[in-house]
Amino acid sequence: MRGYIAFIRGAMLVGVVYRLGFLFTILGNIVYIIIAYFLWRSIYSGSDSINGLTFDQALLYVALGSTMFILLKTYTDWGMAGEIRDGTISIYLTKPIDYQLYNFFTTIGFASTSLVTVTLPTVLMLLFVFRIHIAFGVGYLFFPVSLLIAFIIGFNFDYAVGLMAFYTESIWGISITKEIFISVLSGALLPLQFFPAAIQQILMWLPFQAIYYTPLMMVTKPDQEVGVFLQMLAVQIAWAVVTYFLSRMLYNQAIKVLRVAGG
Amino acid sequence: MLSIGEYIRLYFLIETQYIKAQMQYRADFLISSIGMFFSSLATLSIFVVLFQSIPNLAGWSLMEMVFIYAFYMIAISPMQILFDNIWWIRYKVQSGDFLRYYFRPLNMMFYFMSERFDIKGLTQLAAGIILLAYSSVKLGLEWSPWKLAALVIAVFSASLVLISIAVMAGSSAFWLVNSYPVLALAWKIREFAPYPMSIFDGIFRFAFTFILPIGFIAFYPAQFFLRPEEITPVIYLTPVIGVALFALTYRVWTLGVNSYTGTGS
Amino acid sequence: MTLIHLKDLAKHFKILNRHEGLKGAVRDLFSGDYRTVKAVDGISFDIEPGEIVGYIGPNGAGKSTTIKMMTGILKPSGGVIQVNGLSPYDNRIHQAMIMGVVFGQRTQLWWDLPVIESFKILKEIYKVDQRMFDDHLGMFNELVGLKALFTQQVRTLSLGQRMLCDITASFLHNPQVVFLDEPTIGLDISIKAKIRSLILELNRTRNTTIILTTHDLGDVEALCRRIIIIDKGKILYDGDIKKVNALFGAYRTLKLQIKDYSDATLAALQERLTGRFGAAHGITVAQTEEYWTDVTIDQARTPLADVLGFIMSNFPVADVRIVEISMENVVRKVYDGALQ
Repeated sequence: MRGYIAFIRGAMLVGVVYRLGFLFTILGNIVYIIIAYFLWRSIYSGSDSINGLTFDQALLYVALGSTMFILLKTYTDWGMAGEIRDGTISIYLTKPIDYQLYNFFTTIGFASTSLVTVTLPTVLMLLFVFRIHIAFGVGYLFFPVSLLIAFIIGFNFDYAVGLMAFYTESIWGISITKEIFISVLSGALLPLQFFPAAIQQILMWLPFQAIYYTPLMMVTKPDQEVGVFLQMLAVQIAWAVVTYFLSRMLYNQAIKVLRVAGG
Repeated sequence: MLSIGEYIRLYFLIETQYIKAQMQYRADFLISSIGMFFSSLATLSIFVVLFQSIPNLAGWSLMEMVFIYAFYMIAISPMQILFDNIWWIRYKVQSGDFLRYYFRPLNMMFYFMSERFDIKGLTQLAAGIILLAYSSVKLGLEWSPWKLAALVIAVFSASLVLISIAVMAGSSAFWLVNSYPVLALAWKIREFAPYPMSIFDGIFRFAFTFILPIGFIAFYPAQFFLRPEEITPVIYLTPVIGVALFALTYRVWTLGVNSYTGTGS
Repeated sequence: MTLIHLKDLAKHFKILNRHEGLKGAVRDLFSGDYRTVKAVDGISFDIEPGEIVGYIGPNGAGKSTTIKMMTGILKPSGGVIQVNGLSPYDNRIHQAMIMGVVFGQRTQLWWDLPVIESFKILKEIYKVDQRMFDDHLGMFNELVGLKALFTQQVRTLSLGQRMLCDITASFLHNPQVVFLDEPTIGLDISIKAKIRSLILELNRTRNTTIILTTHDLGDVEALCRRIIIIDKGKILYDGDIKKVNALFGAYRTLKLQIKDYSDATLAALQERLTGRFGAAHGITVAQTEEYWTDVTIDQARTPLADVLGFIMSNFPVADVRIVEISMENVVRKVYDGALQ
């Protein structure tokens, strides 16, 4: 276990070096939030509530959603693709470490740095510069845990995409498709309440909403019964477990195809 | 030294060879095109869903939004397809590999950009054209030869705006060590483009019209075709803005190229 | 007419004196605190058509800077440089038509394309007519068997094959001058020989001027008739290779790892060698790398075996390597007046 902690530290140190990069990431997110602000203000002109959400709730949802998107962005798929392509993956496969865990702890390290250098300033900006109104409630207590589990599910997806590199030279198309599917179907870009009822039903049964919709709703509508949140959390955990096992199975298949760069 | 015609022929020669070589990787080509296809439509699908709950956006109907978005997709395609190499400029400048572009009797921007041709961008272009045709039919727009000519000019000018912004941002690699975020940010700003200017406050509208002319990438040109009665004379400046901005960008690029010394001694 | 003309050519760089830390970085943004580095400090020489010139010197000597000024990349800070009568910097595209450039480490061909397609593109760029194009490729095929590589992608070629293709490409448009930078680096002896004879043949048949920058003295010996040595931005020597040849051929450098090495060891070594071999032994001793002591021997004066035997009997030597004289040592010798 100590070995894995070392990976976190290592990744955190690397992350600190990219100070300017973090600044621009924040700025890029601000761009998105500004667009979202104007867009949603226009959507809500003339209505107080649409699909059960007020303007403040919708804006908070979308702004926090994009901030989460940055936090949850792992470069696991690209890192793995690179390691598989140039053969350095064999270094990890011959050591007594679990490849998936190694990737996970490395990426958690980066995310921890990102949390402090990007997420925190952005949230502060949302609260004090954009004056986004938030209502407090029980949901906030569940949010951190929900966020962590969302991260795990997202990671499992990225890991699975990375495994595709065993089968194909370039994974750009697969990675982008995964990203699009998750952004759209998870409610990251648009709260699921806005989707037609029939589609909403389907989406609630998919793992994607467990990554964005669930945690975001805890903050958007924090004033619900504890039981409701526990249930949401339980569904999330279930998906985390399912995606974990699926990714493990995928790994066992993929490893058989191992063709490392030689010559 | 080559004439314009010879440059075009040369470009054609280089890119057909490049595409031939890329086509070898059929799986990658297919998967990338599919990815690009989904990527193009993601925002649009969000809009379609959104319009189930609202009648219009600042007075613009869904079909009009689709038209604007389609124009946007077409306008950003030349940048994506032809100037893709700008994403690699930082790497080449810092490794010294950039020196190779000085040794041929070619315009350096031409030589540099001709090295990559982003085939999957064609998917986005095709999707954009189809959507533009579809939405014009749905909106009952009529396309006389004049209007079509205006469309071509509009697309050309609009694409120059994005090309200029991106290439200028990328040229910062000649002076900044960590220039990638500048390019990434410039690229992100294009996301303001497919929205009606009326949803933005005065300050932003001013900025997007006169400072960083994002409005000219999609909205203003599209407005010319959708609601000609609402346009302000500034729209006729679109070609001027596109060309002037590109001239500025070329100047910045040239400054960078002239000041580059490579690595080592 | 003189092909390349340099007079008092100079290139100065302003380097920012950087400060540490975040505060320092902010200060640097507004600072006017520069120091001037004179990469090229007043050099003059003329090169006539058809010459093969070796342009050598240690790292940081100013070689690349000079070449960059000759090829129109850098603007001179002072002095005159003319290639074929024109200033390279002000006429980059025009001059590129009469020049060829080969970088040993980086290819100038299109990475993903088959070799022949790269050549065809170059044919378009340089407006080479079909006849000349076919003759060239025919000649190269005869000399080095190039045809077999035509349909292969450049990225799949071995280093040696790629070099041959790059050299072919650089001569394709029959340039007046070709700049070769480390053309044989990393290659095995047989390919090196092939490349050297190729270059000689091209120079012989086409009278192409060749400027060779390299650390490989074997290349220099095989190809060049004239040598220009540059160090610290100034010309140290410009003349016939025969004089310098004497410098290279006879010299060998012994690299020794001496146990318990200290500064005193170096002095002791020199003293003992003088004691054993006499004052005019022609041996120089220096510490150029960590752990390794360089003992450079002029074999014309003192046999290597004797020196090695002596040192090993008197000093605790852990490891030995024998190498040809290095560029650094050549320059050091020239400084010491070896060419007087």
